[in-house]
Amino acid sequence: MIHDSESPSTPGTQRRDLLDEFEAGQLANDFDAATPQEVLEWASARWHSRLAICTSFQAEGMAIFDMAWRIDPTVRLFTVDTGRLPQETYEIMEQVRERYGATIEISFPDAGKLERMTTHFGPNLFRRSVEARLLCCSVRKVEPVRGALDALDAWVTGLRREQWASRANIRKIEIDHDHGGLAKINPLADWTAEEVWDYNRAHDVPVHPLYARGYTSIGCTPCTRPTGEGEDPRAGRWWWEKNAPKECGIHCPLETGGLEHELEAMLHGEGAGR
Amino acid sequence: MPKAPEIEPDWEQVRKRNFVERLKHEKGGLAVIDDLPAMVAAGYEAVPEEDMVRLQWYGLYHDKPKLGYFMMRVKVPGGRLTPRGLRTIGEIAQRFGRGHGELTTRQNIQLHWLEMARLPEVLATLAAAGLTTAGACGDNVRNVTGCPVAGLDRDELFDCRELLREAAEFFIRHHEYSDLPRKHKITISACAHQCNAPEMHCIALLGTLCDGRPGFGVKVGGGLSTWPRLADDLGVFVPADEALGVLRAILDVWREDRRYRLSRARARLKFMVDDLGPRRFRERVEARLGRPLADGAAPAAPAGEVDHAGVHAQRQPGLAYAGFPVYLGLMNGEQMLRLADLAAEISGGEGGHGGDTGEGVEIRVTRRQNFILANLPEGRVPEVVRRVAAIGFPLAAGNLRRLAIACTGNPFCNFTVAETKGRLRQIVDHLESAFGEQAAALGELRLNLDGCPHACAHHWIGDIGLQGTTLRERGAAGERLQGYDLFLRGGLARGAAIGRPVLRRVPGDVVHLAIERLCRAWLEDRQPGEPIQQFFTRHSDEQLIDIAGVAAEVLTR
Repeated sequence: MIHDSESPSTPGTQRRDLLDEFEAGQLANDFDAATPQEVLEWASARWHSRLAICTSFQAEGMAIFDMAWRIDPTVRLFTVDTGRLPQETYEIMEQVRERYGATIEISFPDAGKLERMTTHFGPNLFRRSVEARLLCCSVRKVEPVRGALDALDAWVTGLRREQWASRANIRKIEIDHDHGGLAKINPLADWTAEEVWDYNRAHDVPVHPLYARGYTSIGCTPCTRPTGEGEDPRAGRWWWEKNAPKECGIHCPLETGGLEHELEAMLHGEGAGR
Repeated sequence: MPKAPEIEPDWEQVRKRNFVERLKHEKGGLAVIDDLPAMVAAGYEAVPEEDMVRLQWYGLYHDKPKLGYFMMRVKVPGGRLTPRGLRTIGEIAQRFGRGHGELTTRQNIQLHWLEMARLPEVLATLAAAGLTTAGACGDNVRNVTGCPVAGLDRDELFDCRELLREAAEFFIRHHEYSDLPRKHKITISACAHQCNAPEMHCIALLGTLCDGRPGFGVKVGGGLSTWPRLADDLGVFVPADEALGVLRAILDVWREDRRYRLSRARARLKFMVDDLGPRRFRERVEARLGRPLADGAAPAAPAGEVDHAGVHAQRQPGLAYAGFPVYLGLMNGEQMLRLADLAAEISGGEGGHGGDTGEGVEIRVTRRQNFILANLPEGRVPEVVRRVAAIGFPLAAGNLRRLAIACTGNPFCNFTVAETKGRLRQIVDHLESAFGEQAAALGELRLNLDGCPHACAHHWIGDIGLQGTTLRERGAAGERLQGYDLFLRGGLARGAAIGRPVLRRVPGDVVHLAIERLCRAWLEDRQPGEPIQQFFTRHSDEQLIDIAGVAAEVLTR
């Protein structure tokens, strides 16, 4: 491992090592055909503990963590506990802690905001309208993620290009302009789902138990469900919604910035569709 | 680390890794038109999201937040519009698009607020006027651009309007060019000032004369976005009557190499040209053509950038053209109609393209989001200028307004993270009031402002380029705060260079002050005649950050 003990990049310091747009473009081109491990090794060497993996313990995040852990066993792993996660997600967290001896950094929603939101709109507000659902996503998920990103210079996501059109152009190294300009690393950009699962099997990586029950995308309990054979995978998330923004695929696109753009447009009237 | 795979992947491998290639294979983008009636009948909610993506092939993108409204990009090859063409677009804007309209940096016109149910009628109306949106977005040859005073300007080497028109039509009609690895941008002109930015196009044909024979030098591999690159000279001379064949061969070399289809992050011609170098790329083109190309060179870059603004005598005796500024590129439907009426009236009828006979007033869209009225009888110019001012486009709006450009941005674009046209208005208004009478001293200051890294407004090559981003700090209610990266030292023409983000994450509410200070420092400390680009190049990042005097992020590396 390439951990530099002289590194100034330790948590709590104010120094930030950020890419600029030009540098990011050059790096993305240089690393476009690189393996996930090569990307992770480079990113880990550059940012050390100013880098963290963000995961909801789905297959991609688990593969990335396993790879990164083999490069640097102290690699940081963070997640958000929205308060509505399925029990199975907590089970896999425990498995990860045990298997890797890892510390999982868990961010929580702001208690005051959560209290106000649920008191005012009820606990299941997400069923009432797309706006209410986006508000719920915002308080329970988006804001805690943003809070975690604030303390980082780089984060790692499990985005893959083959998942949907809006992801087809992602680069392995980007600047995240939705979150204050830190680096966003997408090591699995060019992997297929099959390759992710092959990796996880070959390395005996813990698998979220809900996959075995037909889930293709795992999020909060009330907002995700298994989909049947031949059923549109998008029916697995927010299936009751009408007039929800289109072209998001089945995936809650917080990592692409898409969710936040929708949020701002729909909750704060910045979009054209109002 | 190898960038392109050494072994060319087969189609199956390509489709496995590339969602859009899979989508195109299942049903081509252009084919979505056949399904449009059924889509309309089924209703917006029922339309598969894949078909929403395919609508890009007809210049349609969801407006933010992807809830039923579309942006429509109308292609205007060479920027040339008849009064009838402009009136048609204006009528669509008025009837279906809430009157909104904007001129783009690639000579297109964009409308917003269109609903899917209206699309069959809208597309048919455009077609009846000889206009199309086919290939305006998606993996196509996008609008073929050129000099907006082609066929008119006295300095022009020769008239290549016909070639431009043919090329635009050819690549729409032949559907294999609607399945390119990604978007593809071509520009063709014989403008003596190279006003069409050949440096940043996938392919640029630059008019030149070889022993008096008209033809083209060819530049390839330019582009901006997240990986900016200036085009390379292919080192050839292509006689004018062979130009379309050469364009086609270049596109064939490009679209047939599946190595560049695996990853859309590298699916632009510039990556291939960069990997191969211009010499080997030329060999590939020659192999595809089955014959060598004659050696030659693209004409030397001009001293500075020209946009053909103001009133100029045409090469046709008795006629003039007039270039009018369009502040922020915004031209609403009503203005389009009034302008079309005026142009038709001056022409004495709707007219077709005036061409060499000099008949018929044309409206030409420029890449700085302005327009030119062509074929004006010289005696009527003062009247036309007065009447165009009354429509909202005063000729003497000032250089700042004329040259400042911003991308579509909020509230329409799904990609933007910051205000664009609104912010640019703030900045320009501020500079005008801060410099007052002195504003003229700023000369031809080019402000290029983008809301995201895609660089529709070319922030890499402005005198001062701005790219929207967000700050790490938050507002009182926890909301995201907008900021801008400031790109300096970029430019086109003889000083062609890619700018660098010297100031990063300048808060949106002070960015106008940073720009004012940078301009003031240039005016006060420049060497005689020193362009702002050189001034920025002569100063270090630290000095410029110091001059700007605002909180900007300084990298630790």
